[in-house]
Amino acid sequence: MRALPTWGITLMSVLVVTAAWIGVTSSGLVRDLFLPGPADVWSGFLELIDDGYRGRSLLVHVGISLYRVGAGFLSGAIVGTMLGLGMGYTPRLNAIARPFIEFLRPLPQLAYLVLLIVWLGIGETSKITMLFLAALPVSAIAARDGVANVPPERVQAARALGAGPWQVFFFVIFPSALPEILVGARLAAGIVYATLIAAEIIAGSDGIGWMIMDAGRFLRSDYVFVGIFIIGLAGIAIDRVLLLLERRAVHWAGR
Amino acid sequence: MFVRTGVPGASGHEPIPRSFEADFGARWTHYYADAMVSQADVSVVPAVVRRPRRAISVTFPSGLLLSTLSVAVMLSGWWAIAVLGIVRADLLPSPANVWTALVEILTQGYRDTTLWQNIAATLGRLLGGFCAATVVGVPLGLWMGSSRVVNAAMDWIIQSTRPLPPLSYMILLMLWLGTGDLSKSTLLFLTAFPIIVSASAAGVRGVKRQLIQAAQALGASRRAVFRCVVLPAAAPMIMTGLQIALAAAFSTVVAAELFAATDGLGWMVISASTFLRNDVIILGIIILGLLGVSLAALLRAADRLVIHWRGRD
Repeated sequence: MRALPTWGITLMSVLVVTAAWIGVTSSGLVRDLFLPGPADVWSGFLELIDDGYRGRSLLVHVGISLYRVGAGFLSGAIVGTMLGLGMGYTPRLNAIARPFIEFLRPLPQLAYLVLLIVWLGIGETSKITMLFLAALPVSAIAARDGVANVPPERVQAARALGAGPWQVFFFVIFPSALPEILVGARLAAGIVYATLIAAEIIAGSDGIGWMIMDAGRFLRSDYVFVGIFIIGLAGIAIDRVLLLLERRAVHWAGR
Repeated sequence: MFVRTGVPGASGHEPIPRSFEADFGARWTHYYADAMVSQADVSVVPAVVRRPRRAISVTFPSGLLLSTLSVAVMLSGWWAIAVLGIVRADLLPSPANVWTALVEILTQGYRDTTLWQNIAATLGRLLGGFCAATVVGVPLGLWMGSSRVVNAAMDWIIQSTRPLPPLSYMILLMLWLGTGDLSKSTLLFLTAFPIIVSASAAGVRGVKRQLIQAAQALGASRRAVFRCVVLPAAAPMIMTGLQIALAAAFSTVVAAELFAATDGLGWMVISASTFLRNDVIILGIIILGLLGVSLAALLRAADRLVIHWRGRD
């Protein structure tokens, strides 16, 4: 075992799990209703690609979900970051907004979705508002702490060189806080994505989350598996894109 | 890279392994570093921004007073909107209505369940799944952190389940385990498990090699090194992981109760929505918010108590 390279062990482990999956499903130990085999999942995937699901193609379902994530995340992250920058810069604004932010952050997002649906209807507005509210506190807190963690010497140096308050803010504080703001944005995106999938499962009529829910209701567990794979891959993709942006935008981070 | 998450007094941060720093370290410790720092309160941290302002703002009310004031303004604004009839009463009940709903639910219960029963049902599911994930996840993570082979065999499974939103496999769990509490507890277990395992493994991997070598040079056995060096050094990261896992599980338990349940706070909220009892919905949201805040505070207090050496080397 010790001689094997790490990737070799991982590969072996993947093979064992896959073999167990194939073994359990093809021997009839578990009914394919409950656990479809890899071949079933693949053919289910091809079916979904060809025929779509319930009148909409697979890509449309994924697209609808991503549109919601994008709209909710962008609005929430932008407003949250601006609020957080203000909170970090002015202690008074921090004192005013803090109770709401701290209350909203641990609050399960789906709980207020119920209220938003009563107020705004079951359509897009309520979902995107919920995602907005999910992204807001996380981004605000990241931006606030980013500002709070700016080394005092930097600000003092800029002041000593004659920079005004706005100059200090735009040329010193904002760039110094940017790494933490972007980390917060990535975290917010993850939360928004998980929340949206949950929302589509509970109160959706389209989107990838709704698809697995609906397929599960009709015991099409092959479609459910395909959906879960797509959700996982899309989640990873969102995270990687933001990570890439982060690395590009703040190449100076940590220095 | 982003390890400067700002635990006050932590001057020398331990190098966190790259892969972890990219994922867990940067994202989540950031999130929770905040939770951990906020005990120190922001008013202490931004010394730079505050100092010049201090001189002018001596006469202004302190932060706490302002916070209280802003909550009071919000509440009275809500009251005014409801009382003046700007929004229909069945859509936005006034704070007084919500209070009446609270009294009603405390004395008579909501649809044959008392408020305490619902809170207990939610917390019971939450803690059941969370505790099981802790009991299994921490040892597994420690093992993965100390053994290359175990890590290579298990890590891909953990890492591939982590990006999945928990509700996405809820349907499968219901298919396999039924719609009862078992599937919900399993869901919460699976929500918390990968987070706890990754945090524990990363905690072990982040232990400074010099510390271990020093202990070995002084003649400590493998066991002693693990107990007296590795475990204490990994503990802060493990506790952070537990806090994150509990927060994630709390969100998930409510979502799961909205989906299929006959009790619990999530059920209370969704059931109230079918009867257009907005006062009960708002009450439920307030209770959930307070519960979330106090759960986080509780774990933070436990963290401070148990890991009193956090931030020091």
